[in-house]
Amino acid sequence: MAHVTTLLLLLPLLGFAFVLLNGKNMNESQIGYVATGVVGLSFVASVVTFVLLLHRSDRQVTVHLFNWIDVGTLHVPAAMLVDPLSITMCLFVTGISTLIHLYSISYMHGEKDYKKFFLYLNLFVFSMLTLVLANNLVFTFVGWEGVGVCSYWLVSYYFDRDSASSAGKKAFIYNRVGDVGLLLAMFLLFSRTGTLNYLGVFQKAGSLSPTVATLVVLALLLAATGKSAQIPLFNWLPDAMEGPTPVSALIHAATMVTAGVYLLVRMSPVLALSSSGRLTIAIIGGVTAFVAATIATSQKDIKKVLAFSTVSQIGYMVLAVGVGAYAAAIFLMVSHAFFKALLFLGSGSVIHSLNGEQDLRKMGALQRFLPLTFPTFLIGWLTISGIPPFAGFWSKGDVLTNVFAHDKPLWVLGVVTAILTAYYMSRLFVLTFRGTERFREVTHGHDPHESAWLMTLPLVVLAVLSVLGGVLDLPWIHHNSLAGFLSSTFGYVAPIGAQSTLSQWGLAIVDVAAALVGLAAAFSIWRSRSEDERLTPPFLEHVWYWDDFYDATIGRPLERVAHFSDTVVEEEVIDGAVMGIAGGIHRSAEGVRKIQSGFVRHYALAMALGIAVIVVYLVARAG
Amino acid sequence: MHSSLWLSALLVVPLLGSIGALLARRRAGLSYAVAVVSASIEMALGVVIFFLYNSHVKGAQTFDFATRHVLAAPFGLAYDVALDGISLFMVELTAIVVLLALLGGRDKRREPSFVAWLLILTSLTMGSFVAHDLLEFFVFFELTLVPCYFIITGWGGKEANKAALKFFIYTFSASAFLLIGILYLGFAHQHQTQGSLTFAYGVLASTAMSHSTAIWLFTGFAIAFGVKAPIWPLHTWSPLTYAEAPTAGSIELSALLAKLGSYGLLRFAVGLFPLALADVRPVMLTLAVIGILWGSILACTAKDLKRFVAYSSLAQMGFITLGVVSGSKIATVGAVLLMFNHGVLTIGFFLIIGFLERRRGSYEIVDLQGLQRPAPVLAGVFTIVMLGSIGLPGLSGFVSEYLILIGTFAVHAWWGVVGATGVLAAAVYLLWAYQRVFQGRAVGANATIPDATAKERGVLVPVVVLVVALGVFPHPVLERISPSVQQLIEHVAPAGLHK
Amino acid sequence: MFAAASSITLPSIHYLAILPVMILVGASLLLIFLTALSRRKISQGVATSITSAASLAVVVVTYFQWRNLDSSGASTTIAHAIVLDGFSVVATATVAISLLMATLVAHDWAVRERVVGAEYQVLALAASAGAVLMTQANDLVVVFLGLEILSLGLYVLVAFDRHRSTSGEAALKYFLLGGFASAIFIYGAALVYGATGSTNLTTISYFLGSNVLLHPGLLYAGGALLIVGFGFKVAAVPFHLWSPDVYEGAPTPVTGFMASIVKVGAFAAFVRVVISALGTQSETWRPILWVLVALTAVLGASVGLVQTNAKRILAYSSINHAGFILLGIWAGSVRGVSSTLFYVITYAPTVVASFAIVTLVGGDGDENHSINAYRGLARRQPWLGASLTVLLLSQLGAPLTTGFYAKYSVLAAAIDVGGTPLSLIALLSAAIAAVFYLRWSTSLYADDHADVARVEVPRATGLVIGAGVAMTLLFGIWPGPLATLCQHATLLFTP
Repeated sequence: MAHVTTLLLLLPLLGFAFVLLNGKNMNESQIGYVATGVVGLSFVASVVTFVLLLHRSDRQVTVHLFNWIDVGTLHVPAAMLVDPLSITMCLFVTGISTLIHLYSISYMHGEKDYKKFFLYLNLFVFSMLTLVLANNLVFTFVGWEGVGVCSYWLVSYYFDRDSASSAGKKAFIYNRVGDVGLLLAMFLLFSRTGTLNYLGVFQKAGSLSPTVATLVVLALLLAATGKSAQIPLFNWLPDAMEGPTPVSALIHAATMVTAGVYLLVRMSPVLALSSSGRLTIAIIGGVTAFVAATIATSQKDIKKVLAFSTVSQIGYMVLAVGVGAYAAAIFLMVSHAFFKALLFLGSGSVIHSLNGEQDLRKMGALQRFLPLTFPTFLIGWLTISGIPPFAGFWSKGDVLTNVFAHDKPLWVLGVVTAILTAYYMSRLFVLTFRGTERFREVTHGHDPHESAWLMTLPLVVLAVLSVLGGVLDLPWIHHNSLAGFLSSTFGYVAPIGAQSTLSQWGLAIVDVAAALVGLAAAFSIWRSRSEDERLTPPFLEHVWYWDDFYDATIGRPLERVAHFSDTVVEEEVIDGAVMGIAGGIHRSAEGVRKIQSGFVRHYALAMALGIAVIVVYLVARAG
Repeated sequence: MHSSLWLSALLVVPLLGSIGALLARRRAGLSYAVAVVSASIEMALGVVIFFLYNSHVKGAQTFDFATRHVLAAPFGLAYDVALDGISLFMVELTAIVVLLALLGGRDKRREPSFVAWLLILTSLTMGSFVAHDLLEFFVFFELTLVPCYFIITGWGGKEANKAALKFFIYTFSASAFLLIGILYLGFAHQHQTQGSLTFAYGVLASTAMSHSTAIWLFTGFAIAFGVKAPIWPLHTWSPLTYAEAPTAGSIELSALLAKLGSYGLLRFAVGLFPLALADVRPVMLTLAVIGILWGSILACTAKDLKRFVAYSSLAQMGFITLGVVSGSKIATVGAVLLMFNHGVLTIGFFLIIGFLERRRGSYEIVDLQGLQRPAPVLAGVFTIVMLGSIGLPGLSGFVSEYLILIGTFAVHAWWGVVGATGVLAAAVYLLWAYQRVFQGRAVGANATIPDATAKERGVLVPVVVLVVALGVFPHPVLERISPSVQQLIEHVAPAGLHK
Repeated sequence: MFAAASSITLPSIHYLAILPVMILVGASLLLIFLTALSRRKISQGVATSITSAASLAVVVVTYFQWRNLDSSGASTTIAHAIVLDGFSVVATATVAISLLMATLVAHDWAVRERVVGAEYQVLALAASAGAVLMTQANDLVVVFLGLEILSLGLYVLVAFDRHRSTSGEAALKYFLLGGFASAIFIYGAALVYGATGSTNLTTISYFLGSNVLLHPGLLYAGGALLIVGFGFKVAAVPFHLWSPDVYEGAPTPVTGFMASIVKVGAFAAFVRVVISALGTQSETWRPILWVLVALTAVLGASVGLVQTNAKRILAYSSINHAGFILLGIWAGSVRGVSSTLFYVITYAPTVVASFAIVTLVGGDGDENHSINAYRGLARRQPWLGASLTVLLLSQLGAPLTTGFYAKYSVLAAAIDVGGTPLSLIALLSAAIAAVFYLRWSTSLYADDHADVARVEVPRATGLVIGAGVAMTLLFGIWPGPLATLCQHATLLFTP
């Protein structure tokens, strides 16, 4: 098993190395297929590992690679922890990655930095796998940062566009803020438990004082908000849409952005120690879900809508974590990976067909031009809107049921968000595929054309997964479903009070009703028009002026501080002091020099004075 | 126990090289060849010593290759060299720096004397790192100023003379405190033992002194080393000097001589006055974190790449200082490792800046844009070096910074927290600089610059290899540093406890 | 009556002790005779070779003196007026070597300036005799004697350049102020005699050691005036004002000669008087010396900053050095004595060699002393430039030159007796002085120099420069032997 898991981890890295070293004498498609191949194999390896794990009594295997950092009491091995949680992550990460690699082969065709793209992509998969497989926080941090830097590279992939390079930088720095949180969490845990190995920490977790536990949880939450684009660090994600669409699908929808949720779930035994911490998590999640949803209703760029939708959906996951419904969070994470990847790739196909146009107002009535994209996108839309029997219905339902059990106000917020979700997705759907043709000038009058099979095949697969995803965890078979499989890894699962089947049905009906309301509203409004100031107020369109707020409160003040430090403190004060001394000596020297008049009488006088002083001193001493 | 000849060879080889270079000055390029050869021999010696070094010499703590010859008894002057896990990597760094500085920072103007000065500087730096006697250390430490001064004035930019003079006087004045301190310590010891005057490191460590005396001496040492490192607020010579020095000079100064400061601080200030450190630690820690933040802030405002690196180095030296004075073993090991890593990273920065200057005749940030398109290799290496200093796991910078921060946090949490924000700041200024220089659309002269030549790539390879290797597998380094730091800390700890 | 007759006995004379003085005086007399007897002026060659021979002879003699010390120890002679101890021997040798070097430089200068006659050498020999006498004097009267012989010789030497009016002017200043200083000195000697009943240093010391003065005012005043007298000779602030003008005005080789010989002689006597004779009263003198050290070191360095004339810069540099040497005397310990000696014997060759180069650059008429004359010198003449750089770095106090260990030794002596603050002041003044040494050596390597004519380097002067640089580096890298020598070159007695 150790070997398989090692392969699973290293295959993408090998692919990266291979392409890096002899990418020169490889043509586009070779590069593409090699990169895709390794990830595919890695998926196979995950499946094998999964099967092997199923047939073990203890579902917790540590695979030691080598001793990485070893100083004093700090022992950080490069080692993997294979357990239900990590293998579940591996399965969907490698699976989705394979599909998106495949899609990219054709989507990125003819790009200047084609090779670089796949290098980054493979490196990303490797980092993501490190993140989920690591058996200690520091090694996780390797993956954590690795995905961050890959995201930085891929967002600023079109680096000669300033918007792209800025977006990449923004993404990295926002993540970096979160990283400080993760670092502090590690420091705290190490100083209190003396280890950073997950299992070790969980063993000693009991010894943590409530305060420390809460601090750790909050630090982890900070990390999660950075990586998973939650309030207050969520506004890098929309900018990240500057990256190529497959990147948005893989990194900024399916995998990386869910890493924060993974981290929180992974640390569930520590979360268990701080109810206040969990409540904070839940609130952050719920509020983010709602705020992002409102913003999504007013975006004009198809990818921006999807981006905020992602933020909102991750909000749901965080909410779930906050109420201790870890299984539900993972369930939503997986199904979301399916349908959000589907939607992004679909939108990519749309954008492709419209020569890169992303503005919803320049689309419409694409239904009949995109015979394969349309139905798959339709499925994605219904899934995210929460229409049964698609995966979204089950996963979101699972979350809301748990929230209902713990926190009614947040549940209400969740339901409202559900309405909004259905609304903005339907708006997106209508503006894209229904209504009137508004794309003629971008296509110069031509008909949009469906994409190549390399791009449509993943769409189909993902559509199927979105339809069937629900079976992973149907409410009435919880025990031998995803939840049951994962349960062993959670320190503490919030008991969903004995809910009667009736109340369960009730909740389900509420969900469906919410979805339908949103749908209906969207259709009635957007069938006939492509834009409406009243319904897309600037406040929402400009993301609640969040960026401007940061700019005013942090950005510009810091600039002023820097300028002041540079021109005043550094130059005038610190260096001024040094140069002041030098100048002083020089000036006084000029002064003393005047005595050097050249006249003997002056010299004699000076001598006489000198003698006088000495004699006076001695007389004083003698007397 | 190994022959001390290895260490003496480290001092002699560069000297012979410089003499050879001067003798060979008649034929163009020959002296350069001589210099490169001797630098390579030095590097080879470094490798040999790396493997020969044995940290378990009986009764020598973790020192190896030790020897002592008295040169002038009345002065207490002696040739006394030894090597431990800490100085080992300073020696390695010295060898690497001179070789890469020669290969990457070649300056054809009056080449013989240029390379001769470089090699002399190398010998002196080696001397400072292997010196096991305070007076001997001071002689080498002080003398490094002379080659630096002449390299800067002889081959520097327009303001070079001003910069060099400021650098020299600043450092010279500061080291006055060091010399006085050393003498004071030596005589204090002699008066206690009624023996002969000596400045041997191991012996003086046992000198008994009053609390206030210890604090005064520590302060004096800290001033001298603080200017060299530089530690905030004694840094204002460095931006000008780095900017005006020739590429090789900037490399020597920032990658190597700065380490003389932090090394001295650890070996002599911390090592000899633990009692005092225990008291002034809050001050030192605070200066360190101020340095981190100050360097980061000013790096954002820097107008040219050399000043930029100067300020980012200030921040990095802040991290090193934090670890050195923290009194935590983990953090101190991290600090020593960062001395080495920062050296390598800085070589990378200045090499690339030098290459860009060759192409564009300027290292002003405004003159450079979008270089990633025409020069992907340079951009790539710069990225690796940049991420290395940002502290990206898997690259060398991370391991050291992480050790420093986690170690410091364990003993002085709040400074650890502030230090951690420095990790964020590093990302801000480095990425911003990268965006301005390498991203965006390249127009005019920028669009057509050639990418790294084969030779330039050859020079950059070792940097990249070291940055990656020490990030992925730092174990061979850590296992050599740890025992020596252990020694130093054990000596420090008890005093640190009951103050 | 017979008894009365026999009671008049000449004091016993230890000839080996006074042989150096006799050689030097004899040589100068010989030159005078030759000049008088020979029909036409005797050539510089002859004069120089006689002078050199004399100084070499002295060096040889000092070797035998040293051997004699090993066997029979230090001694006094001529009614205890002259002393033969390690200190005086080493100092004497230093005087002789400085004389030799300075003479060789002066030879080339005289040839260049078409100076005829042997007057220069005569005076130089006489002055050196005075300096040697000062190193050996064990009696205030003998000190004064040496001081005057030295000074009178120098007054004339300073005025030696008839072409430049400044030369004469400088001589006049030097003479007037020097006379003033001598008067002060002799008055001080008289007061000390009044207080202690003797002018013999040994006796004074014993007297002060065995008696308690009820009214020390007389002694204090006397001692103070002696210190002032020495302070003038060694150009200690505020008694230094003459030195920049005189250094500048005097013919450059003479300046070099002064800078070395006077320092050796004056400091030797200074040490003997203050430490041997008045040592018991040290707590009285040390505050005064403390202030002198601080003022001399700091002002010498800072005022040097604003000079633009090579000779004036060296003048202020030597003032700064005087401050350091005084630090050794301030220490007053055995280590202080040996460090003072180490300082002067290492400083002398360095400064002679430096002025040798200044002499060469000065060129015909000895006028060209602006600091700009040195721009690019090292580019045109690498060896000459490198030599000057080494000499300047040595005076700056860079390690691996004698200058570093000179400073080091006096600092060590001071710190040994608790003079840490004063040492710090002195060392920081060295940092100030570093500025002008560095500016100078940088301009040597300047690129933007107009192509000036090469500086001619005559053989003799070249030899002197080479020797000076060699000593500076050799003993800078390996100070052991010199340090040990100075450690053994003790005074006859120190209370």
